[in-house]
Amino acid sequence: MNATWTIAKKEYQLAMRSVTSYIIYVLFLVISGATFATTVFKLNVAELRNLFGAIHMLYVFFIPAITMGSIAKERSSGTIELIATLPIRLSQVVWGKIIAAFLQVLTLMSFSVIYLVIIEVLGQNVDYGAIITGILGLLLVSLAYISIGVFASSLPSNQVLAFVIGLAISAFFYAIHFVFVIMPLSLVRYLQFFSFEYHLSGFMKGVLDLRDVLFFVAICLIFAFLAEFNLQSKNMMQER
Amino acid sequence: MIEIQNLSRYFGQIKAVDDISFTVENGSITGFLGPNGAGKTTTMRMMVGYLQPSGGSIMLDQQSIYKDPILTSTKIGYLPEHNPLYDEMYTLEILKYIGDLRKMGKTRFKERLDFVVQSCGLKAVLTQKVATLSKGYRQRVGLAMAILHDPEVLILDEPTSGLDPNQILDIRELIRNLGKEKIVLLSSHIMQEVQALCDRVLIINKGKIIVDDEIENLGKYLTDYQTLNLELEGEDVDIEALLSDIQGLKVEENLQENNRHKIRLSVPGDKDLKHEIARRVTAKGWLIVSLYSQSKSLEEIFHNLTKSDGQGKPAESETDQVQDLHSDIAVLDSESDAKSTQADEPTQISLDNPPAEDQDEKEKS
Repeated sequence: MNATWTIAKKEYQLAMRSVTSYIIYVLFLVISGATFATTVFKLNVAELRNLFGAIHMLYVFFIPAITMGSIAKERSSGTIELIATLPIRLSQVVWGKIIAAFLQVLTLMSFSVIYLVIIEVLGQNVDYGAIITGILGLLLVSLAYISIGVFASSLPSNQVLAFVIGLAISAFFYAIHFVFVIMPLSLVRYLQFFSFEYHLSGFMKGVLDLRDVLFFVAICLIFAFLAEFNLQSKNMMQER
Repeated sequence: MIEIQNLSRYFGQIKAVDDISFTVENGSITGFLGPNGAGKTTTMRMMVGYLQPSGGSIMLDQQSIYKDPILTSTKIGYLPEHNPLYDEMYTLEILKYIGDLRKMGKTRFKERLDFVVQSCGLKAVLTQKVATLSKGYRQRVGLAMAILHDPEVLILDEPTSGLDPNQILDIRELIRNLGKEKIVLLSSHIMQEVQALCDRVLIINKGKIIVDDEIENLGKYLTDYQTLNLELEGEDVDIEALLSDIQGLKVEENLQENNRHKIRLSVPGDKDLKHEIARRVTAKGWLIVSLYSQSKSLEEIFHNLTKSDGQGKPAESETDQVQDLHSDIAVLDSESDAKSTQADEPTQISLDNPPAEDQDEKEKS
């Protein structure tokens, strides 16, 4: 089996055994469930856009929490020394961690199937296209956040610090669109390129734009590369 | 064969490893001795490719280990100093994980698993979580992980630390067997271990190699005097008068029991005096029960070399050491951002080296 998969599988299995993960999952599901219930039952609207917006916001907090230990923990417990002397590349380590976190997000997102069922039962004229692209968009944006989180985790050996750094970088990409209202339009035109919300809005409307897909993939690749570079520069073997 | 040439490593301004060169041959066990912070771990970390050297080269089979790191790591088995393991995993699982990452096939893994479980005595703990294992078992799991892929080179950083005496014997036996065909380099500050296991010993202090020799040849590093034990039977024995013309000879001890004498002699230099003494004693008509020269223990040599400046000269005077300490503190102050723990250790050597060493010895034994 490929080393990336081996690492991803092990990370995912360990995450599924740890209590911390379950606390994170429960919190995530409770908050997203509450948002869903408000939209559907209080406002009588059979759509998931509010929910998706809430999930996007939750990502900013929860994904850094999922990824904070990925590399920082290896460093604080010294197991990085073990990994560094195995015949694997650092990029495989980084990608293994990213895939493991993505599997966790997938697990979490699989619970939203229940919302689909409820909408299907209760709603009329449901825009399935928008729901599917919305979910796709959320998965893509989660990859970007995961990559940021893993990069943040590669910086310090302290997990809490890794969480804070991950949160700060994620929050920049998430919250930048809130600042647009007070900015001159000429500046907004360039800055909105960095806003995750801006790139996600197409998905929410049911529009699949290749540029948006590429944007998230690029962010993911850039931070994965930065994480790898950062590990490499910390006295590891050359060209691994 | 591993060849190390002019290897250096700095942590900030502090030289952890200072221009060392040595070679390790196949089929030999080399012991790496030195006080705390001498540079043992740093050297080993560089040899497995975890740390980049500041200068110098490490060649494994005539090829730099940095040329193809992936290939290198398939040849090396490494047991790190603090033996880091994934606490949440089960023993079998962690071995399987390492096997998978080393791309061992199913049959080969099974074969090797049987071997390591047998040789490291892991059968009882295979289904236990690593976090629940005792220190000795953790150490054995670490060792099992290091030898799982049957590496050419084994680098073991204090392999027997934390083991009970029986386990130590088992692990030593295992290392001895592995050393028959592989390159084994182990670090330790337990003298008896190095004496019992190794063919060669490297003593390192303050980042410099001060001894690199076969274990039998170490006697010459302690040439001040030799000790002879003589046991004889006879009447009216006056050994001092008999040997009085041998220069510098001293009778250290003379225990008498009826007409049996146990005598300990000390003689300067390493000239073999056994024949001479035996001849004179038998000429007197006394009966020699035993006569042998006491080999100097590695401990003695180690102590002698590492407390001195490394050239076999006597230890620095106290004032020198205090000055040394002050200059070290000055270095530390200017280097306050050097966070690495390794960076701190070398400064402690001159500070409390001999006592720390003694404490270690006590702890280990």
